[in-house]
Amino acid sequence: MSPRLPSARTNLYLSLGSIGFALVLGLVWAPLDSGTGLIETVRRQVTIGDALAPTLAAGMIGLGGVLVLAQRRAPDPGGLGPANLGFLLRFLAVIAVAFALMRWTGPVAVTLANVAVADDLTYRALRDTAPWKYLGFFAGGSFLIATLISAVEGRPTLRAVLIAAATTLALIAVYDLPFDDLLLPPNGDV
Amino acid sequence: MGVLDYIWLGILAVFQGPEIFSVAGFGISVTLVMILSGFLMGILVGATPGLAGPMAMAISLPILISIFGFTPDALLPVMGFLIGVMKGATVGGAVPAILFNTPGTPDAYMTTLDGHPMAKAGQARKALKIAHVSSASGDTFSDVVLILCAPFLAVLVEAYLDLPEKTALLILSLAFIASVIGGSVGKGLISMGLGLFVAYVGTGEDFYPRLSLGTQTLAQGFPVATAILGVLILGEVFKALEDLWWDRRAARPPAELVQSGDQRLHWADIRRIAPYIGRSAVIGTAIGALPGIGSTLAATLGYASGARVHARTRPGERPFGQGAPEGIAATEAANSSVSGANLIPVLSLGIPGNAAAVFLILAAESIGGFNPGPSVFKFTADAVNPELVVAFGLFTAMMLANLLNWTIGGVFMRVAGVMIRIPKHILLPVVLLLTLTAIYVQEARMSAMWFAVGFGVLGYGMRRLGISPLPFVIAFILGGKLEDTARQAFAATGGDVWFLFTSPVAAVFIALAVAVVVLSLRRPLEAKA
Repeated sequence: MSPRLPSARTNLYLSLGSIGFALVLGLVWAPLDSGTGLIETVRRQVTIGDALAPTLAAGMIGLGGVLVLAQRRAPDPGGLGPANLGFLLRFLAVIAVAFALMRWTGPVAVTLANVAVADDLTYRALRDTAPWKYLGFFAGGSFLIATLISAVEGRPTLRAVLIAAATTLALIAVYDLPFDDLLLPPNGDV
Repeated sequence: MGVLDYIWLGILAVFQGPEIFSVAGFGISVTLVMILSGFLMGILVGATPGLAGPMAMAISLPILISIFGFTPDALLPVMGFLIGVMKGATVGGAVPAILFNTPGTPDAYMTTLDGHPMAKAGQARKALKIAHVSSASGDTFSDVVLILCAPFLAVLVEAYLDLPEKTALLILSLAFIASVIGGSVGKGLISMGLGLFVAYVGTGEDFYPRLSLGTQTLAQGFPVATAILGVLILGEVFKALEDLWWDRRAARPPAELVQSGDQRLHWADIRRIAPYIGRSAVIGTAIGALPGIGSTLAATLGYASGARVHARTRPGERPFGQGAPEGIAATEAANSSVSGANLIPVLSLGIPGNAAAVFLILAAESIGGFNPGPSVFKFTADAVNPELVVAFGLFTAMMLANLLNWTIGGVFMRVAGVMIRIPKHILLPVVLLLTLTAIYVQEARMSAMWFAVGFGVLGYGMRRLGISPLPFVIAFILGGKLEDTARQAFAATGGDVWFLFTSPVAAVFIALAVAVVVLSLRRPLEAKA
């Protein structure tokens, strides 16, 4: 298991964070970023304004923070430490690279193809044409799965790459082949 | 149109829906096939440690909606499939618990205590049969209670509760859920408050979308599937992957145990476990009817209650925890009887009580034409109420799934043991990509996947900090409804700021909401003492 901070200290940070967020939300964000206040009078009719509900939500978060603060030494299974955050950052980096591959593999491949055959195609024009429309999803999806499997196994393996490729192809077969109206990443964005 | 007419129409809607193929001249309705498919898939998912019914429901929902479209005809096939998954997963969770000492679903943990010792003693098949009979009995009992109670409760709500009382009831439900889920009422309130906050981003009555910081991205609000799948599914995947990362080893499938002796389930066995099934079914159903209390608590209470009675009435027999068949029966009947009763607050009040119910509501909202809540049960005499027909169609689907459970569930359970051989560290990245793809095909924009990852981080953080994500999800779903009802109640009472306290029923609900929070505050202090 990962090394963690003692739960009492984690609870202290959680409660202070919750109270701080509740204060910002209730006193600054909700009143300044809502079209109407807590209670509005329109043509002599009193109605609930848009700021009331988020203010009450802030009240709930703040109350929860105060209660956690009061009971921060109670037995608690929770715990979050720098090691967890380190894992999370590495994990998010893998996801970011996978998303970048999904987004840009297709357009880059089209650009390279244009250079190779001296054509003037765009990915947008090809985004409904196989194999172009699968390139990004295949590259990004395979990278994501293979990297995560390899990370847990402690070393990159051919088996991880093959599983990743097979899974991504299976997802293409499930989501794209039978349905004309479904778009795989990134074909809805480009 | 009488009650019986509606029941008959609901049954016909299932059996005479769009035909998928015909056998010997008889058309087989697509809803029947979907219930069967969902049930079988549910058993496989439940038998796979690391997967759970809600995950399968989340991933399959966009595919189902793509197949069946956004028409009222899609409601029964899609929701029938989801109900099948829900029920199958409940049964399937016991398989790895018994065979490999690894619960397939968290609520099957107590099943390992007696199920695995029985398997080690060469009685695995018998243990599986006991788990199956107990689970199917508990589930069927729970469904009967649902079918009898939900319409009456809904009619009572419609007859006696006006807008202020409905607002107070929603507040009571949220307070209850925040207080009873997890070990800390403070953390429950934080989770609930965050769910409400997220629900209010980019919404409101004014032309300006509130809390949007002037950006177009936030002005659209957070897509429902993105927030729910992110917090519930991705958060769990992130946490499970990290646990594997620190363990740095793949979960190796354990060796199969050698089986011997009589594996049949005799009438004497059934008579022996019947009282335990009955007691746990009542406990599980009662707990399931309360929103927010999950099947894990029901299983724990059913097991503890059964253990006490067993020690008192049968002191000479094998005690719970050492391979007692009664222990399996007490656990499985309790956790399975939660699933039907959990739909009582969904169908009668529109309040989801667990993750599976969240996805049923999500399916209904995505497809349209069916809004779970008290208005469903309007027995209109002059014209057909289509929502009521769907409700009775859902009841029919549940009873059909029970029938499948009784007939083929046991066989499939035994086959599903093979699912434990899929290593978790391979399964989880696949589930991650599946979920992200499911989100993209619904929203068709990369930003939705980023939002989902953001909510996944939130769900991960909640789990690490001991905060249950369920109050967040339920508050997110109910946030809009709570505000709308409160606005209407406020307007209907002529702008009375005390509208939650002027009606005695509403005042009682609010007093109960405060009481449940205050009483829950004492739990950690007692535990500390």
